[in-house]
Amino acid sequence: MSTAPAEYGEIFDRGYLHYDGPRLGQTHTVWALARYSIARSLGFRRPWTAKIIPMLLYAAVAIPVAIAIGIRAFVPGIEFLDYPALFGAIFLLVGIFVALIAPEMMSSDRHDRLLPLYFSRPVGRGAYVLAKLLGAGLLTLSMSLLPAAVLWLGNGLLAPEPLPAMRDSLDDLGRIVVAGTLIAFYLGAIGLMIASFTGRRSVAVGVIILGFALSESLSFAISEALRDQPDLVRWSFVLSPLRTVMALVGKLFMEPELDSDVSLNAAIGVMMAVIVVCSLVMFAWYQRHD
Amino acid sequence: MNRASGSDLSFETSGLVKRYGAIIALDRVDLAVPRAAVGLLGPNGAGKSTLLKILLGISRPNAGTARVLGQDTAGDGRELRARVGYMPETDALPDNATAADFVSHMAEMSGLPRRAARQRAADVLYHVGLDEERYRLIKGFSTGMKQRVKLAQALVHDPELVFLDEPTNGLDPLGREEMLDLIGRIHRQLGILIVLSSHILDDVERVCDYVVVLDGGRVVASQPLHVPDEKTADLHVRVDGDPVVFLRNLASLGIEARPAGIEFRADELIICMDGDRTLDAIRDASAATGAPLRLLRPATRSLEDLYVDSVGSAANGLDHRAPTEAR
Repeated sequence: MSTAPAEYGEIFDRGYLHYDGPRLGQTHTVWALARYSIARSLGFRRPWTAKIIPMLLYAAVAIPVAIAIGIRAFVPGIEFLDYPALFGAIFLLVGIFVALIAPEMMSSDRHDRLLPLYFSRPVGRGAYVLAKLLGAGLLTLSMSLLPAAVLWLGNGLLAPEPLPAMRDSLDDLGRIVVAGTLIAFYLGAIGLMIASFTGRRSVAVGVIILGFALSESLSFAISEALRDQPDLVRWSFVLSPLRTVMALVGKLFMEPELDSDVSLNAAIGVMMAVIVVCSLVMFAWYQRHD
Repeated sequence: MNRASGSDLSFETSGLVKRYGAIIALDRVDLAVPRAAVGLLGPNGAGKSTLLKILLGISRPNAGTARVLGQDTAGDGRELRARVGYMPETDALPDNATAADFVSHMAEMSGLPRRAARQRAADVLYHVGLDEERYRLIKGFSTGMKQRVKLAQALVHDPELVFLDEPTNGLDPLGREEMLDLIGRIHRQLGILIVLSSHILDDVERVCDYVVVLDGGRVVASQPLHVPDEKTADLHVRVDGDPVVFLRNLASLGIEARPAGIEFRADELIICMDGDRTLDAIRDASAATGAPLRLLRPATRSLEDLYVDSVGSAANGLDHRAPTEAR
């Protein structure tokens, strides 16, 4: 097809080739959608402006960990930040992070009218929600789990005898994993559910942040109003993500300062229930999409 | 060149009903459409997009069933959607993604492994004419380029059938020509079945060989295009040279003929068929007048004739002209 001399090679028009390779199943599409959603939320292959806020939040969450490890390295014997305090310190940042990524994952698809394209593919509506939940949960893990895990690693490595110290604190690592995972999927599910109702990212960001803030006030107001009914007041934490998370962390790490009258099972149960309810609301909502 | 599949039909529906509140979008639609380049024609609000969405399994009918490529849209939805592609009417593209990333992602959504998806995306974008631009953000694309990206994502997983919803929407005359050429090639050269939904007669007439006409949610016609008119079975002829001399020569041979009409070129004629001697007379007249034949085909009723017969009026929202002429 080419008229160029042979030493320069030849150019072929390959034309259109039919695809006869493998076609993978639902697990592949769910993972591919989750991975794509994570990459888009972090601003990968997008202009640098889309990367700024996630990177700033990562930097902000790294600061207390870096300070804690630094103090431990240079002033032995002083524990600047324990795990419950770290979870308390980064809760707000994790909340803002979720408010940022959830609209990017859900509202953008609605805004860009991509839902008919997704739903015309083998990926079903249920798998779509599952993929988004997986994406949001895994991405939020990098904010909720990673800092505490790094702190645990730092504490272990800076101990006089690192390996025995790390072996002795494996319980702590287990608690960190449980807390970090539950927090990531709990906050992620709430954020995704709110964001799924609108195609406007800015509105979704505002409503999520406002929702987290108002839930504290609402929970506090109900506690005050029902002061003479302690059984009901005990459950008012359900309305507050912060109180729920701190109840979980307090019980997991047996932190006296965070000791509430909520049992560990109740805290875990409430978080799991919220994840399930948010998922069911999204499943139902996307079934309606015509 | 269509690829083998389990059914002789592109799609079939039985008693399909779709309501949006009090509005009936589709009203007992029964269709059996052969494997062809199918045009779905009708004015705005006729139910074309609703029918497409039901065929894709995106929307569920209130009553009735639909099968595409022999598979039930409700029961076999996932398997079916791996075999079809969809180019929506709306601007369904993420602004701040590159064409290559987005098309590759949509290939993965159809089950292609990551590496194959990237390769297919590059190939298909090249095929639709977006080779150089594939690493640019979509938000910088013209309307025509965006339409091509939409077409590429519909083709990237190599479907057997592709649904195209108003693919020439918003395109300038040149872009429209290129898009119609591309769609024609997809069917003829690649063997991919197409279902083209449009309200522009010319788009359907140029690309399709079967037409379904919808009006008010009902099927008013479902038939092949370009079928000789059985009432007349006349011939449509174009000659190079003076058509008047040619006509006079035909008349001297006892063959009746007339100009094709104002919508055709001046050198196009309709010749009344009178057995084999008509063809002999055309040959002889052409030789005698030195006017070479440029066209000889059965005279067909135009799509506009079909539409007017079926619906009753060509003026209720249907555009029979190309966009430039319409303006």
